[in-house]
Amino acid sequence: MADVSLHGIAKSFGPVEILHDIDLRVNDGEFVVFVGPSGCGKSTLLRIIAGLETVSAGEIRIGGRRVNEMPPADRKIAMVFQSYALYPHMSVYKNMAFGLKFAKTNKAEVDRRVRQAAEILKLSHLLDRKPRELSGGQRQRVAIGRAIVREPSVFLFDEPLSNLDAALRVNTRLEIAKLHRELGATMIYVTHDQIEAMTLASKIVVLNHGRIEQVGAPLDLYHAPQNLFVAGFIGSPRMNFIKGQVRSVDERGALIAFAGTEALVQEAHGRLAKGDEITLGIRPEHMASEGPQTIPLEGEIDAVERLGEASFVYMKLTGGDDVIVRSSGDIDASPGERFAAHVPVGALHVFDASGQAVQIQSRVAARSTS
Amino acid sequence: MPTIRPGRIAVHIALILYLALAIGPIVLILINAFKTRRAIFADPLGLPNSQTFTAIGFDRVFANSDFGLYFLNSLTVTVVSLGLIILIGAMAAWALTEYRFRGNTILSLYLAIGIMVPIRLGSVSILRMMVDLNLVNTLTALILVYVAQGLPLAILILGEFIQQIPKDLRDAARCDGVSEYRIFGSIILPLIRPAIATVAVFTMVPIWNDLWFPLILAPGAGKQTVTLGVQQFIGQYVTDWNAVLASLTLAIAPILVLYLLFSRYLVRGLTAGAVK
Amino acid sequence: MSDIAATNVQAGSVPERSRFPLHIAVFLAPALIIYTIFSIYPLVDTIRLSLYAGDETGARHFVGLGNFVTLLTDPAWSGQFWNALGNNLIFFAIHMVVQNGIGLGLAMLLSLPRLTGGSIYRTLLFLPTMLSVVIIGFIWQLILNPLWGIAPTLLKAVGLGSLFGPWLGQESTALVTVSLISVWQFVGIPMMLIYAALINIPDDLMDAATVDGAGPFSVFWFVRLPLILPTLGVVSILTFVANFNAFDLIYAVKGALAGPNFSTDILGTFFYRTFFGYQLQVGSPTMGAAVATAMLIVILLGVLIYLFGVQRRLQRHTF
Repeated sequence: MADVSLHGIAKSFGPVEILHDIDLRVNDGEFVVFVGPSGCGKSTLLRIIAGLETVSAGEIRIGGRRVNEMPPADRKIAMVFQSYALYPHMSVYKNMAFGLKFAKTNKAEVDRRVRQAAEILKLSHLLDRKPRELSGGQRQRVAIGRAIVREPSVFLFDEPLSNLDAALRVNTRLEIAKLHRELGATMIYVTHDQIEAMTLASKIVVLNHGRIEQVGAPLDLYHAPQNLFVAGFIGSPRMNFIKGQVRSVDERGALIAFAGTEALVQEAHGRLAKGDEITLGIRPEHMASEGPQTIPLEGEIDAVERLGEASFVYMKLTGGDDVIVRSSGDIDASPGERFAAHVPVGALHVFDASGQAVQIQSRVAARSTS
Repeated sequence: MPTIRPGRIAVHIALILYLALAIGPIVLILINAFKTRRAIFADPLGLPNSQTFTAIGFDRVFANSDFGLYFLNSLTVTVVSLGLIILIGAMAAWALTEYRFRGNTILSLYLAIGIMVPIRLGSVSILRMMVDLNLVNTLTALILVYVAQGLPLAILILGEFIQQIPKDLRDAARCDGVSEYRIFGSIILPLIRPAIATVAVFTMVPIWNDLWFPLILAPGAGKQTVTLGVQQFIGQYVTDWNAVLASLTLAIAPILVLYLLFSRYLVRGLTAGAVK
Repeated sequence: MSDIAATNVQAGSVPERSRFPLHIAVFLAPALIIYTIFSIYPLVDTIRLSLYAGDETGARHFVGLGNFVTLLTDPAWSGQFWNALGNNLIFFAIHMVVQNGIGLGLAMLLSLPRLTGGSIYRTLLFLPTMLSVVIIGFIWQLILNPLWGIAPTLLKAVGLGSLFGPWLGQESTALVTVSLISVWQFVGIPMMLIYAALINIPDDLMDAATVDGAGPFSVFWFVRLPLILPTLGVVSILTFVANFNAFDLIYAVKGALAGPNFSTDILGTFFYRTFFGYQLQVGSPTMGAAVATAMLIVILLGVLIYLFGVQRRLQRHTF
């Protein structure tokens, strides 16, 4: 069984520290996705687990055993590279069998495993081809096949879909998910694409500047982001942020002024104080519907993008903040017009001046100040 | 990769040992050129000091040979050849990569012969021709031969480089009604400047260092290149160690200085995959 | 490609196929004229000349393959020719093994990831290659000169003093010594070419092999070496052409007679002597042309073997 745990992992390249004190536990059979912008250290973290990079501090355990000093081949891992890293001078068959040669696997067993993997990945008719004779999607499957034949406890994927075109990416994404269900192995997957993260992961790890911002199930990250970074990173189009200020705090809650209106919120831990600069977050898809518990936000339309099933309305609020509203496909709106977006109070997120989420118990609609 | 440190030290030791072998002999010549004859033999590995320093070898070289002139000859031949190779080579490379016309492939192959077949083997005829043209013992003879020798590789390298210039640039110019000559002169030529370093490595160095053609085409007094001049000088003054070492130093120094100044470009040119 | 546009612009009202576009001719003419007159014509004329013989009066007459028969069978010629060819093969073999072997080794060391001082090593290791063969020849002549005593002193320092001998002067060691001097100078070229090929291999491939369980030796043997084979092919043919065309070093170190007793004679020096004469023998342009043609044939054979025997089998890999 293979769970992976990281304790206090740090990594520096010379004076530049790119990972700081990472603690993480990946349970057996989990599909964990590391997601974050480029340069956040997610690939380095994956390579550390693979054994391709050493750590400057901390301990890596796979299946309960410390593996810091263990070469990659002994860690019972297999890795799928972004570039696929297929050996260009070997046939598909040899590419898949290459690693088994060093594991001293006997010929019949190698053959069985290669053919079985080829069967799963629909590569059987391509076994004699060289990588350059394959399409991008086929190469990608060979790279996965090379990992499967090793029968690893942990699969590591380093942005495996980023070289594929959009349609193929969706297909392969589904195939990887299916593979995970069938093999039941632990998988760790690195991507900068939040859609891949949301669709594949049982647990998402959001990284930024070499630190873990939040760990959680996809929908937890969506509904309860712990800070501005995660709030902005998960979701498309990204969450709208509106500047606000705490007007007063009393037993009814904190009264927050923003975009020419006010809202009363009751927070769990009493972290807000009068005069605090805060940021309110509201997702574009939560802003359209008019209802009883909504706050209307007024502004002027900058642009309207019509996608058919929905429209994105870009507007400038009275307070000067720019927001995007996801609205119905046939909405009657055009640039220059006044527009009112309706915000359900229950969908509001509040972040304090340091960007941390403020936990809200209940939200009460508020009156307009204008 | 894990546990690499001890290995790294061994790597550096190996590289430094080979480095000593590679540049030791050159350093040895340079330091002994400034020492008295006695010191050259008594302490060949020592640096010159106040007691052993002398420039007598250099005095003798300048007194007994026309070193400045040799240098000027080499410089003239190399610079003029290189300039012509680049200009003429770029024109041909441009024509061969840009236009599709009948015989394009054949012409490219025809030009490629010169990359593999050394022009030296035609020396018998070249000498006859230069005699007929009254060009023996002129720098012109050397320049003509070197241009012919350098063109094939230059055309290959420049052609690969020109191919990488975005087609849109030329097509935009064509839409503006610019003539093909102007496109070459004001768009292509300025853009190939980075390739010149690469072409220079492959053409300039062999020209500067060549002994064969100066020996058979221009061995006469006053027309020797540095390489030939040093060869003749050393032949005459074999036993005068000071003079021999000084003449070698004089031959090495300009290349050494130029190389250390421009090595970045040269090494980059070599490793840029120009030879594929 | 875009030349269609170009032709149209140029052609104007003139029917397209009837005339070769003038500007193309203008661009090509200088290169073609100089190259043809001073490179191709002399080569062809040399081959033609090799079929003639001159007499004392300077008149030439056609002798067919007579010169080659003389070269290969006449005792006055054939001994020297075969000697030069044999020496040249040894010269080439030493370069292939030692020069390209060391070049490969250095390139591997230099291509190690994050090697401190890599560019300094590269620059300095390539330095000898930049210098004139003639200068290099003299430098080593001085260093190996027993009179100066540098080489014996250094050898003694490492306990190998007894090995020293006048290597350049002995018939048994002169050729190997001269070859090694040339190797010493030109090691930079295979080093750089192989280095360039090695750093072009994506790191991911080596990482993948490491994850697959290949140790450093296996990574080299199963992954890197197969991928640089095409470059090794190029290095080999460049070495071949350069070696069978070599002249300067031996002329500088041992003179046109390539002594002692022709033990360092290679085709280049043999060609020079045949053409210009030496001591009592008068130079012969036509025999010189025959030797040059023979060299041309040897080089062409090498190139053809490379092009059709080697290069075709070596798949070039794009990453």
